[in-house]
Amino acid sequence: MTIEPTLPIPISYIEGNYYVFSIDAVTYLRREYHICGVLIGTLPQIPQQNVFLGLPLELMPEEARLLVEKGVACIVDEVKVQKQGMKALMEEDRKKYLRELESQGLQAMRLQTSRKEQQREKTLKKLEEKKVKAAKSKKLPEDPEPEPEPAAADGPKDDPSLELFADHQLSSNSQTTSRRTSTTINPENAMGITPATAHPPLPAEPAAEQLLPTPQVPSSYPLFAHLHAEGYFLSPGLRFGCQYLAYPGDPLRFHSHFLVVSAEWDEELDLMEIIAGGRLGTGVKKGFLIGGAEKKEGSADKENVRTFSIEWAGM
Amino acid sequence: MADTDEAAIHLPSHDFATHIDTDLSDETQDFRMLSNLSFLTDTSQATLPKRGEKDFEPNPTLYQADILDASRQAMHNALAHPRLHHPKNQIIGIYAPDGPAPPRSVATPKKLDTITEDDPLSTKNTADTEETPSQTTTGPVTGVHPDSCVYVPNPKGQYFKNMGRADRWNRVWLLPEEALYLLERGSLDIRWPLSETGCEDDGETDDPGIPMSLQAAYACFIGRGGLTVDRFSVYSGLRRLGYTLIRAPGWYDGVEEETEDRELTKCQGPGLAGIYGRFMKWLHSSRTTAVGPVAGLGIHRSYNDIYRKLSIIPFHDPMAPPSQPSQTKLPFRVVFYVYKPSTPFRKTAPPPPDFRVAVVNARTQTTVPTLAQLGTLLESTPLDPPKGEKMERMLYMRLRHGYRSVVLAIVDQGVVSYLRVADAAFGKEKLYNRVAPIGNKKGAHPRPKPKGR
Repeated sequence: MTIEPTLPIPISYIEGNYYVFSIDAVTYLRREYHICGVLIGTLPQIPQQNVFLGLPLELMPEEARLLVEKGVACIVDEVKVQKQGMKALMEEDRKKYLRELESQGLQAMRLQTSRKEQQREKTLKKLEEKKVKAAKSKKLPEDPEPEPEPAAADGPKDDPSLELFADHQLSSNSQTTSRRTSTTINPENAMGITPATAHPPLPAEPAAEQLLPTPQVPSSYPLFAHLHAEGYFLSPGLRFGCQYLAYPGDPLRFHSHFLVVSAEWDEELDLMEIIAGGRLGTGVKKGFLIGGAEKKEGSADKENVRTFSIEWAGM
Repeated sequence: MADTDEAAIHLPSHDFATHIDTDLSDETQDFRMLSNLSFLTDTSQATLPKRGEKDFEPNPTLYQADILDASRQAMHNALAHPRLHHPKNQIIGIYAPDGPAPPRSVATPKKLDTITEDDPLSTKNTADTEETPSQTTTGPVTGVHPDSCVYVPNPKGQYFKNMGRADRWNRVWLLPEEALYLLERGSLDIRWPLSETGCEDDGETDDPGIPMSLQAAYACFIGRGGLTVDRFSVYSGLRRLGYTLIRAPGWYDGVEEETEDRELTKCQGPGLAGIYGRFMKWLHSSRTTAVGPVAGLGIHRSYNDIYRKLSIIPFHDPMAPPSQPSQTKLPFRVVFYVYKPSTPFRKTAPPPPDFRVAVVNARTQTTVPTLAQLGTLLESTPLDPPKGEKMERMLYMRLRHGYRSVVLAIVDQGVVSYLRVADAAFGKEKLYNRVAPIGNKKGAHPRPKPKGR
């Protein structure tokens, strides 16, 4: 859990958006800098659902800007990196990379086969226990119901597979061990791997000409930075009808407390907006938070952000 | 704490007349729930977890810190899961940065006799093969979308039933969104061609190059052929739910859309936008109210006659054909045709779509669409009046269904919200024409409706 990626973390800029592809960077940014982003990729383990999503992590321009300003990350023109990087890839590197992938694939295959083996052994053991118990229950006529606890819980469901395994076990017990050793040796059987990041073949450090300036951010950035500095976790808030959702802690474990909308200091607000926002927030037990940077005459560059929380008083 | 309330706010939004429970994907879920799934061992019981319990606010207890650590660890583990391809069912795709092209064995030797002798597949199409080098830019491979950029030499598996197009060398060409989606879900292994790398390209075609990473795939495919990340988010999000998606003609800016209900253009009538003009005309020419009562003088013997006379405000009739085919503009333009999983779909002859989706970026388009934008968008979709016995019977179902409809997918930094916009015809539902319910038998007649609108 304490993986420290090398700083600055490269943030990929692709067609107007900012992404992080390295899982270590994602966990690190979340843990140390309270930057959550939005996971937009499909999780390969369970690809047909939208509740749990996977890499890449899309960052708001505000988040990318904040990280760059803190010196934690740099913006990289990913399209350029890929094009130039692949062009620069020499035969030697390619072979080395392919070998690496192959050994990883073999490792994965070995793991999977051993896991399968373990499962098989487990089910076999269960089966044996069941047989013993069944024999026992036959001996005891006053106990017509089969055994109660673990085997009964998954008994009916697992039965066919158990029998299948049992058949196999008799015929091919000696074969499987030999087959297993053969799979570990044969490189033909290595798992193919699609890596998440491009950096094993490509250099980890981007070249200077591939770096981009700090991201352009909307006018709500001062408020974003202010709330972030106060320890809030912020995420895009369109789902709840606001600009950002402010969480008191990691969104994994906490519900958000505020619906955040930013305004300019002297901007005239429609009263209806405040009422609608307050109503919307109260409906989901969140406060409606409106805020912006106060413009002061004396200290021009030092921005002072002020925030207001609006709630239905329910008088 | 806020659980029930958050759930409650979703309840009023019963889209498509079906009851939708709390959408778990609305908020970040605790990844520890994921580890309860034994998807790695048994795919049959991969049901979704229940909504996790969350705490109200952080406190400095070790207990809470431990749970948070466990959640983060679970998330880390889930995200770190590699995309593996078992050699038995590995599908390899090859990236073609220059778009569809005939295989090298056919394209490089220009002599006709070698083609006819070596490649038995192309013998019948020799005439075609001769032409292909001349028009490499427009569409060298017939039947394949020009934006395709990945081909699968050995297509197998269920994914190609509704994705990709096969060329005559039996290779399936994938559009960027299709390729990226398949790679992301771990179903396709895309390779860099040797020509893109710095290695010398000695023309051996059996070497499939090096595997493309997810990172490289995003860099290569997003921005290609009109694919924005917003469109891809919508595409993959709906694909994950089981829908089939294809590009609509409106995908390309500037391309004339085929309006599907041309046959109705016999009589001219005002569209949604034309209503305003009619309203103004009515304001100026409303002599009746100045002269006397709106309902007219005399003896009235029927309420219906009076109501009919009172209905002086013009309304938009969605059945009327659009006045002039105005061009829809991005983002309010249908870019995806969406098919329900139950709809039989053939990729060579796609049926009329179940839904039409326009993709809107909430950061660049910060305002609600204007009436004109919405009007042209709706007019670009075909007339789909409410049909069926159920619709005949239920007024509100009819109103909600509308006469034309479109789904707006609003994307805010990767978070997608779907809104259905339908052209409801309130003016066509004459409440006074409805038979008043007799007695207390509620089963025989629909519930009495309030008269107000």
